[in-house]
Amino acid sequence: MIDATKPREARTPTSKDLARLQQDFQNYVLAASTLDHAGIEAEVVGTTKASAKSRLGIYSEAYRLRLIEALDTDYITLHTLVGDDTFEKLALAYVDAYPSKVYNMRWFGAQLPEFLKTTPPYSNYPAFGEMAAFEWALTLAFDADNAPVLRIEDIAAVPGDAWADMTFACHPSLQRLDLRWNVPAFWKAIGNEEEAQAPQQNEFPIAWMIWRRDLDSYFRSLPVDEAWALDAIRSGANFAEVCSGLCEWIDELQAAQHAAGLLKGWVSEQLISGLKY
Amino acid sequence: MTATPTSPVSFRKPGSPCHRYLGFGLGLRTPHYDTILETRPAVDWFEILSENYFCAGGKPLHYLDRIRADYPVVMHGVSLSIGSSDEVNIDYLKQLKTLAKRVEPQWISDHLCWTGVAGNNLHDLMPLPYTEEAVAHVVSHVNQVQEYLGRRIALENVSSYVTYKQSAMAEWDFLREIAERADCLILLDINNIYVSSFNHGFDPHLYLEGIPTERVQQFHLAGHRHCDDYIIDTHDEPVIDPVWQLYAHAVRRFGDVSTIIERDDNIPPLEELLAELDHARRIAASVETELAA
Repeated sequence: MIDATKPREARTPTSKDLARLQQDFQNYVLAASTLDHAGIEAEVVGTTKASAKSRLGIYSEAYRLRLIEALDTDYITLHTLVGDDTFEKLALAYVDAYPSKVYNMRWFGAQLPEFLKTTPPYSNYPAFGEMAAFEWALTLAFDADNAPVLRIEDIAAVPGDAWADMTFACHPSLQRLDLRWNVPAFWKAIGNEEEAQAPQQNEFPIAWMIWRRDLDSYFRSLPVDEAWALDAIRSGANFAEVCSGLCEWIDELQAAQHAAGLLKGWVSEQLISGLKY
Repeated sequence: MTATPTSPVSFRKPGSPCHRYLGFGLGLRTPHYDTILETRPAVDWFEILSENYFCAGGKPLHYLDRIRADYPVVMHGVSLSIGSSDEVNIDYLKQLKTLAKRVEPQWISDHLCWTGVAGNNLHDLMPLPYTEEAVAHVVSHVNQVQEYLGRRIALENVSSYVTYKQSAMAEWDFLREIAERADCLILLDINNIYVSSFNHGFDPHLYLEGIPTERVQQFHLAGHRHCDDYIIDTHDEPVIDPVWQLYAHAVRRFGDVSTIIERDDNIPPLEELLAELDHARRIAASVETELAA
């Protein structure tokens, strides 16, 4: 035991400055198993009960456990999908590949979907990356900005000759994903504590939207024309341009009515926060 | 306000920079949101984790606003990294100040530690060496932060597992020196003092005796995990008896200090924390009776 009540002589000739000490300690925590850490170990007091190495080890172990726990919170259904062992391995691989650069742990897991899509062996299982992307989109919708939502009466009040120029603002919580695997069905089954079938691959990517209504998050798939129209208004297309684009799937004579129907649906789902004309 | 702070005994020296006494509070945790709004428990105030509300909207801010409407709130951060050799993170301060405008907290606190360098974040409360260099560095950062926020901050002692050979003073001297030179406040975590006293072999009472009474704004009480050779500060268990005894000693020395039970993990039903808080109230009342006699 050291006696912490008695000031010790500062080892001025050999002591490191604050920046160097912190960098050495951080290097140790980030890569405890791969580097020679004699330097930082020499800076720390060991005791008969706990050596310098075991004391430092508390920090490196806690670092990984804490970040894995953060990933587990954001990607709880991915964890269920891949199982405990694989989740721990992929989380550890991510922690080492993406040392945290964010001060708010809320954002630590932001690159996990990309990591899983591009890093073997996880990239061999595209459902993993898609599940991660879906769960991350849910977190984005959860605490996105609040905004007022339009009512049907707001749309009805737009003069007929102004409809063509109408542009829209979507609710800030709206997220769009195209998924080749039906991971939302797996997510829903787990959430409902039902037996979940392993995600199946679709013939082609399916469009999904994820958003928040009041305080709760929702998601649903989109037919191809609706997905195109929603993406178009998010990019600033006006109503006339949406009608024109929908002719790819709808007869020209019915395009305006179809577009108006989509708009009415989005308004009732609280997806539209503003319009200009 | 449904909860009225209990009547304090003031041992404060005239001219103390501390804010008013708030009584006995709890750390605000997500699982308790609905119970708090439905039952309006007899908690005098809540301490929030600032970073949990660095978001644009949705549930976190919704619940925070509603609870703030009924209770005093204090903001407690984990990412200020006041002792980092990096520059103070102005983006972090901007978010903190934005949240403070919304919450109008009674005060703002963070930890006397560093959390990363060179842009990295270890998301841990890393200990500082107790050197004159570190004192000067932290004082300079505290001055900058206090000027930016336009208010004094309170700094909390952290639990630690290492002592640096280059440390040249006791931890309490380090904390006192910084608080006095930077003119900031002190948040004493009684559990952290206990944990570090075991890990480093010092007398926790000496720690309390070394802290200036007029700067102690708040107490934290929490639990920990004993691993035989050392204690890990987990904040996931009830407060143990030796920490309650140390708390009684702290009340004898510092008097009316706003106190919370801080549970960060293994969150129990609210009633369990309320019972623990009542235990703190009883200890404080008993010390006050003892002193009055």
